[in-house]
Amino acid sequence: MLKKKRVLVAMSGGVDSSVAAALLVEQGYEVVGATMQVWDYSKNTCDVSEGFGTCCSSIDVEDARAVADALQIPFYVINCEEPFYQYVIDDFVQNYLQGQTPIPCVHCNGFLKFKYLLQKMKELNCDYLATGHYAKIKRSPSGEYQLITSVDTWKDQTYFLFSLSKEVLPYLMFPVGDWEKPRLREYAEKKGLPVARKKDSTGICFIGKEGHGAFIRSQVGKDIPGPLLRYPSGEKLGEHRGIFYFTYGQRKGLGVCSDRPLYVVKIDPSNNAVWLGEEEYLFSRELKIKNVNVLGRIRKGEELKVKIRFHHAGAAAEVCDVGEAFWSLRFKEPQRAITPGQAAVFYRDSQLLGGGWIC
Amino acid sequence: MLIYGAMPDFRCLKEKGRIFLDHNATTPLAQCVMDKLLEWAKVWGNPSSIHQTGRAPKALLREARNAVGDFIGSHPLEVAFTSGGSESNNWALKGGYWTQKAKDPRRQEVIVSAVEHPSVMKAAKFLEDQGAKIIKVPVSREGVMDLDFYESALNEKTALVSIMYANNETGHIFPIPSMVKKAHEVGALFHCDGVQALGKVTVNVQSWGVDMASFSAHKCYSLKGCGVLYIRKGLVVESLIHGGGQERRRRAGTENTLGIASFGEVAKNYKDQVSSFYEKVLALRKRLEEGLKEFVDGVEIIGENQKRVPNTVGVILPSGVYGESVLMNLDIEGFSVSTGSACSSGSSEPSATLTAMGFSRQEAERSLRISLGWGSTEEDIQEFIIALAKIIRRLKSL
Repeated sequence: MLKKKRVLVAMSGGVDSSVAAALLVEQGYEVVGATMQVWDYSKNTCDVSEGFGTCCSSIDVEDARAVADALQIPFYVINCEEPFYQYVIDDFVQNYLQGQTPIPCVHCNGFLKFKYLLQKMKELNCDYLATGHYAKIKRSPSGEYQLITSVDTWKDQTYFLFSLSKEVLPYLMFPVGDWEKPRLREYAEKKGLPVARKKDSTGICFIGKEGHGAFIRSQVGKDIPGPLLRYPSGEKLGEHRGIFYFTYGQRKGLGVCSDRPLYVVKIDPSNNAVWLGEEEYLFSRELKIKNVNVLGRIRKGEELKVKIRFHHAGAAAEVCDVGEAFWSLRFKEPQRAITPGQAAVFYRDSQLLGGGWIC
Repeated sequence: MLIYGAMPDFRCLKEKGRIFLDHNATTPLAQCVMDKLLEWAKVWGNPSSIHQTGRAPKALLREARNAVGDFIGSHPLEVAFTSGGSESNNWALKGGYWTQKAKDPRRQEVIVSAVEHPSVMKAAKFLEDQGAKIIKVPVSREGVMDLDFYESALNEKTALVSIMYANNETGHIFPIPSMVKKAHEVGALFHCDGVQALGKVTVNVQSWGVDMASFSAHKCYSLKGCGVLYIRKGLVVESLIHGGGQERRRRAGTENTLGIASFGEVAKNYKDQVSSFYEKVLALRKRLEEGLKEFVDGVEIIGENQKRVPNTVGVILPSGVYGESVLMNLDIEGFSVSTGSACSSGSSEPSATLTAMGFSRQEAERSLRISLGWGSTEEDIQEFIIALAKIIRRLKSL
């Protein structure tokens, strides 16, 4: 008899990764569960009260353990606090201090789940690493591994996976990529998984109710005030507490009165200024990206679907220049709030081809 | 479902399909306890009651106290039952310190070793926050306590000394009787955490000469949730848990009759087995250590040539291999061992004991603790060595 293939499943304690583990057990794999403990919930902002769905609270670790017990699989908590701090938190804070709006989940995937945990997977003599991401891996006729959007297009999380290296794809499994969320919950219910009715986690796992600004402040230790300027005139409208409280396209909580609705149209770290202006100034066609990761063939001049934030439907854009350091793209239609620090991710139909960080 | 450990004279439960080599964490239940559990459960009265319902449970306690007293070499009335080793240690440190300070306010210093159990370390930290001065006696990489340091630390301001008889991670035995003498010369109280000694070596608190000593039932084939603080006759220690007059007004709370009865039963049946345990387990450990050295290149046995309890082997694995990964691999293959570190509880800090002994963080992360017990067999050891060698070879090839 062939030896069963062994899979390490990253279990967050949420319903998606719990179902992923259950499906693999059902499919006959030898499954080992692991939770990455990324944040010391006892000493920081994380709050373990009900409804605050995080991947770092002890409640979630205990939920994951309960699911592993129900599935009768080995389960381990792997401490990732140090690498999480190094690769995710530090970068998050630095990005905001530079006037950008970062996506920590991409780094968590790239540096922790699919690097650190991948190493653990090999150490535990597993053949694959599985997660509860809504994404699919497909092998093309030519044998190339491709990252494909999930069946549930609303839940699709490929956007957060654009930075994965090509080499890791053959080791990955995304068992829930073929599922639609409502069916997945039904399945969890049917299987009697203890987390079947647990709320979905939303937002960034280590940011509490007070928002990212308060988090950055707690890390930096102080506010860093600067001017609020009218775009494009430069007229000073007031003071702000720090550029890290703001994001492009933001309208609420600006702290100024105006007869017309004003938006954050520019954040300038060089003079610590936040520029406010009418919505029209938020639209543009051009963008430049750096640290581009390529997972599929892309030709210069090709028109692709490009997403500039997680909840962006994607829009047609031409790849104008593919340089060593930077790529430039041009959208067919102007896009609202192209935000530095976010990622531009390219798709051809349902295949993710790559992406880079918006400058 | 029940299979028994190898020794016919003292049997304990064994997990089917698994090899348990983590007896310093807990021990399998003794068969003699298993046999009587239901009987004890039926005696559900409150031992403190005046009416007749309280008599049978009271008798259980009395018998257990006699047996445990006999087991540890004390008078039964010097035995105070607690909820376990951690409570006993907390009580000894806090109660001992408060008592001493009440008698003489200048006595504000507490001496512990650098390798004590967290329940001693954290209790000491608590006292430090209350104004005590905590002095930690260094222990070398080889597992030797710095006795010169200890002696020079003792003075008329020393309230209390708390030193473990045997270390939980490395098994090293410290020279308690001679240390007690030195402490008493300056009028300090001496507490000994004897949790890892009981059942492994002959324990006699009177010959140790200590004022207080902690023991735990579940480290010795009994139920969890029960421990003992031995308090020398004539010594009055401030209570930790206030309330009713149980345990001769020393420790409030209705007694854990089942746990206590189990401890008593083991004490009664086990007392005369300690020396055969010692020999049997020491022979197994020698096999284990020889096997480790033969099949695992670059392995270091911590303080190999120092006096140790017979069942414990602390090792530093060859470089490039994480203890935690080895533990998980072994677990998947059906072996229960532990790392020297507290990783399993979610902490990223490597073993405080090993780093205090001078091992680097990297070395401490490569530590593994193998602790044998009554159920351990020669086959267990052989299978373990084969599995470990294979795992390490694979990990090193990654």
